[in-house]
Amino acid sequence: MKRIQRLVACITLTFSVFLLPDISQSAQPIRIAAAIYGLKAEFANLYVASLKAHPAVKSGQVQITVFDGKYDPLVQNDQFDTIITQKFDAAVMIPVDFQGSVPGVKKAIEARIPVIVSNATINWDGQTAYIGSDDVIGGELLAEAVCHKLAGKGNVVILQGPIGGSGNIDRTKGIENVLKKYPDVKVLEMKTANWSRAEGLSLMENWLTSHPGQINGIIGENDEMALGAIQALKAAKLPVKDFAIGGIDGVADALTAVKAGEMFSILQDSTSMAQGALDLALRQVIGPSYQPQAPLWKTYEKEMPWKGGTEKVYWVPWTPVTAENVDKLIETRRKEKENKG
Amino acid sequence: MVERSQGVRSLFQRYGIAFAFVLLCLFLTFSNKYFLTSGNILNVLRQTSINGILAMGMTLVILTGGIDLSVGSVLGCAGMVTGSLVTGEHPYPAALAISAGLLVGGLLGCVNGLLVAKYKIPPFVATLGMLSSARGLTYMYSNGQPIPSLSDEFLNIGKGVLFGVPIPVFIFLSVFLILYLVLARTVYGRRIYAVGGNEKSARTAGISTKAVIFFAYVICGLLSGLAGLILTARTSSALPQAGIAYELDAIAAVVIGGTSLSGGVGGVVGSLLGALIIGVINNGLDLLGVDSSFQQVIKGAIIVGAVLLDARRHDSN
Repeated sequence: MKRIQRLVACITLTFSVFLLPDISQSAQPIRIAAAIYGLKAEFANLYVASLKAHPAVKSGQVQITVFDGKYDPLVQNDQFDTIITQKFDAAVMIPVDFQGSVPGVKKAIEARIPVIVSNATINWDGQTAYIGSDDVIGGELLAEAVCHKLAGKGNVVILQGPIGGSGNIDRTKGIENVLKKYPDVKVLEMKTANWSRAEGLSLMENWLTSHPGQINGIIGENDEMALGAIQALKAAKLPVKDFAIGGIDGVADALTAVKAGEMFSILQDSTSMAQGALDLALRQVIGPSYQPQAPLWKTYEKEMPWKGGTEKVYWVPWTPVTAENVDKLIETRRKEKENKG
Repeated sequence: MVERSQGVRSLFQRYGIAFAFVLLCLFLTFSNKYFLTSGNILNVLRQTSINGILAMGMTLVILTGGIDLSVGSVLGCAGMVTGSLVTGEHPYPAALAISAGLLVGGLLGCVNGLLVAKYKIPPFVATLGMLSSARGLTYMYSNGQPIPSLSDEFLNIGKGVLFGVPIPVFIFLSVFLILYLVLARTVYGRRIYAVGGNEKSARTAGISTKAVIFFAYVICGLLSGLAGLILTARTSSALPQAGIAYELDAIAAVVIGGTSLSGGVGGVVGSLLGALIIGVINNGLDLLGVDSSFQQVIKGAIIVGAVLLDARRHDSN
């Protein structure tokens, strides 16, 4: 008897899986998959929150399904299989890996599902479009800000992202481009702290020991590591404001630190990337008649024109965080958080 | 002659870790002039305190013949709960937030303890489950966002100094001392060794093995929570991804310290040295400007070397 019950349950479950997509299709919103590299980072969460705040999602025209890639290329590739079998209308994605995320995107494109890649590039140019910020330029802006505060003279240390990642490679390239122009800025140390604040803190403590009184500037390839370095300076009772410190991303703590005059940050505009990617995807689904709905196309009218929504690459401008715009950015971030909660 | 060389060998095998530690420190002292400065020694101790506290709890669990893979996730969860209580315009008193963090750690440890001791789920599996669940809870509780601007009263745990020693180091050494006394001087300590050595005969001898094992996991959870508080205070913000993969270094410290993974043999003195060796390697190789990838290779080699030493010691016994 029990066995029969179990069998019935199994059959019902199996069929309900087949039935589910049909039900959602009959409701007729456009179904967009968002394949995100991993939902543990603050940046990824801001990105998803921005997607959900897009006018087309709020009006019910679009239904977003989020896939957490869990930092594993294999997981992301498997998710693209699901995206294909469930016949999503289009996908927006942040790749887990430069190389490892290629097969999934390829399969989707072959299955005629448009894929908009954003934030980080992949080693294949067959995707429908790419929208992101140029990390080389980000690295240049960062190094420029630090060298400027040093008045072109001093010793710096560089906290790098994970070795081998495109973020680390491109940002380092940008930093080196700028340092070539400043012969009197010397690099004392350059090492990875894996985007992590705790690792940045320990590394900086050790560098303060091995180069006592010699470090003038700190270049963090992201904010978290720069914030860790600031903690190390504070623990050593050194005057933080006398150092030239910079980071990239514009995370909440960094905005607070900019406001306190402790560092510079270059904001990676997750909102524009996410909402821009969604508009580009909708342009593919609906066709030439589609007009973009996100506010960013007005804001960046000059720097990043819409151009019919069919360009291959869209570069979202970086926003240097300054004493002038920091209050406004903190306010926007607070509202985004409220929307999400 | 033969006898003497055997004597030297057994001496080396017994105190091998201490020798290795001293050699490592000597090497670094001669190769970098800043290594043996009071500032740097305090740095090493401060950097080691978090992994050290985790290793202390891990030692108890491993002595019972178990393992706790969830320490990093429990650390993150406790840190997040504490952080959420000491932020905003009206932060709660630090003492309350700290108690809440310890409570979270202790409760998650209770779940581990129940699963292992009462429901007989293999420790590897039970705590692997907790590794995933506790991390998930942390992200749910925080929405994946860090919690910044913590109260100064709380941040003092990371920055402050007590009797001339940084508070994290003070806590770490106190935990070590307490657990050392528990293992060496109390009934509970002796029972842990008995259970880890041979659970069946311990039960026959009338020891409530379930309770002994249960409390080992509770203490480990509690200490993971404590480490979470310190990490949060040191980084001045509660980070949802804090503590990812920390279980590896904690287990490494215990193993390097000569505690046997099959239980019943070892102690916190070894784990203290093990944690210090890992701390000194990280610090020393940073000072020498050694590439971080190579740093990982060296750490791996030392872990395996320590176990090799341990295996030979067992053979010769």
